[in-house]
Amino acid sequence: MQILIVEDESSLMESMVSYLEMEGFRCEQAPDFKTAVRVLDKHDYLCMLIDLNLPDGDGLELVKLARENDSKSGIIIISARNTIVQRVEGLDAGADDYLVKPFHLSELVARVNSVARRTRLKGGEMLSFGLIRVQPEERSCFVDEQQVELTKKELDLLLYFMANRNRVVTKEGIADYLWGEYGGDYGSYDFVYTHLKNLRRKLMDAGCPDYVQNIYGIGYKFSFV
Amino acid sequence: MKLLTKSTLLIATLSLFLFFIMGVIFFQVLKNLSTSDLNRELDDLKELVEDSLEDYESAPFRTLPGIDSLWVQAVDRAEQREEVFGDTLMLDKKGRQFRTYRYLQFVTEKEHTFYKVIIYKSTTPTDKLVERVTLMMTLMVILFLAGIFVLNRVIFASLWKGFFEAIEKLKQFESTKEPVILEEQDIQEFEELRQVLEVLTRRLARDYRELKEYTDHTTHELQTPLAVIKSKAELLIQSEKLGEEEMQLLQAINTSVHQLSRLNSTLTLITRIENRQFTEKEKINLVGLLDRHLELLQEHIGLQGIKIEKHYHDGGRVLCMDQGLADLLIVNLLKNAIVHNMKGGKIVLEIEAGSLVIRNDGPPLGFSQEELFTRFVRNNRRAGSFGLGLSLVKKVCDTYQIDVEYSFDNQQHCFKLTFPD
Repeated sequence: MQILIVEDESSLMESMVSYLEMEGFRCEQAPDFKTAVRVLDKHDYLCMLIDLNLPDGDGLELVKLARENDSKSGIIIISARNTIVQRVEGLDAGADDYLVKPFHLSELVARVNSVARRTRLKGGEMLSFGLIRVQPEERSCFVDEQQVELTKKELDLLLYFMANRNRVVTKEGIADYLWGEYGGDYGSYDFVYTHLKNLRRKLMDAGCPDYVQNIYGIGYKFSFV
Repeated sequence: MKLLTKSTLLIATLSLFLFFIMGVIFFQVLKNLSTSDLNRELDDLKELVEDSLEDYESAPFRTLPGIDSLWVQAVDRAEQREEVFGDTLMLDKKGRQFRTYRYLQFVTEKEHTFYKVIIYKSTTPTDKLVERVTLMMTLMVILFLAGIFVLNRVIFASLWKGFFEAIEKLKQFESTKEPVILEEQDIQEFEELRQVLEVLTRRLARDYRELKEYTDHTTHELQTPLAVIKSKAELLIQSEKLGEEEMQLLQAINTSVHQLSRLNSTLTLITRIENRQFTEKEKINLVGLLDRHLELLQEHIGLQGIKIEKHYHDGGRVLCMDQGLADLLIVNLLKNAIVHNMKGGKIVLEIEAGSLVIRNDGPPLGFSQEELFTRFVRNNRRAGSFGLGLSLVKKVCDTYQIDVEYSFDNQQHCFKLTFPD
């Protein structure tokens, strides 16, 4: 599964590549507009991550170009600019998602997965981890064929964990992904904990082993113990 | 009070006062003049009476010309030789009403007989004259005052024109941030004012622009290094080689970077509001807006056991503003009401005609009320908060001329927004 990353800041590029490769993606790197145009239709990418601010061009043009080439890849815009107008422009040009810098790598992966599901698999896919199976489009969750009723937030949290399996995700990352601007400024992330506790209880009640590990109070890791 | 009203009032009061005093003096002088005129006339008449005193009992004597009434009596000897002038009231000839008369009383000797004589002269004609003259004067004064009033307006308007233009331009400076450039003035003081204003506002406009650009650039330029730090820290966290101690250090870095990026994006937001980059106007139902955000904040409200009380008396209230800014306004006010609440506290939402009141339980502020809406003022350095929420609220309110007031009573914080009509 190839991912094209167009980003001029080499440090950030390296981080994204490392993290995505840990998740099993292969990455094609394009540090500027010219390179990006050249490799744009070299592969049928699963997803393209495009920075808007490039030294030799506008990322938005790349998005338009990709869509003109009838590319079926998912496109996520990565930008430091965060205005509604720019978001709308980006999505109008054909992007599937818009991620504002600075972002959590775990959030990036969750979004890549979700965009890939939407564009590639038309939602029919069943995600599974151990005994857990989730149908993202139907928003249903099963443990060993037994359906588990989860709230919207709990299901989103589970999907986030499944996208970042075997990785440490921070509480801030979860709060940002699930609550966005409603997540910060409260001085604590107790509300994240509350939802996580409920999710774990529901899964374990259904006979599922506890896959969530607490990592030194810094965050959580979703993995087989 | 306007300058024109004030100066007109002053002129009117002072001139009325002056004219009143002058009027009294004028009236007195006129009155004295007419009295001394009458006295002189009476003196002339005295000689006439003395000359024809021998036949004082005859009819022609009684109607000596110029005398209104005459009283003569023979007396034994001269009691009083000096003349006495005076005023008296008498019934007029027709006997209908009392009129004032000036009289001259004297004793004179004619062929060894003493006569006491009183000559009366009516003051009515002179009084009438004085009255008319006074009336004329009053009329003149009123006309004069009216003239002054009109002239004052005309002169005032033309003299102070430059001044008023300067005020108008200065008022616009707040929103346009354009230097105040006026035409040259021929009045020296206004010319000086014009020059000072131009220099001052030019500098202000430049400072403002530079500061804006600076904030704009720094906030934008900070995004990328922040993104790098954030991503590197996240990668490091994945490392299997780190022990608990290293992880705690990493967590500290992580938290700070997280805060820094939140701070940065809030500052960017404030700058954008100041730059008036939110120009879209939409009609937004206030009740819908509040309820939507309450729903989104449900977790935080529930976690603290906070109870919400709604009193929507004006349910149809519609705000005309940018959707993003409306969200920002309400989210920050609600967040504030949640964060500064206490376990099991209360949030009361009231929509009245033209206003929204958000009240919440909570301990009093640890700083003065005046500082509440300024940046970076917050209670006991709460982790994760920069005290920027209310300054955002203030900025949004300023943009739409919404009046926001804070008060604390009954252990409740109260924010009242009054919407312009």
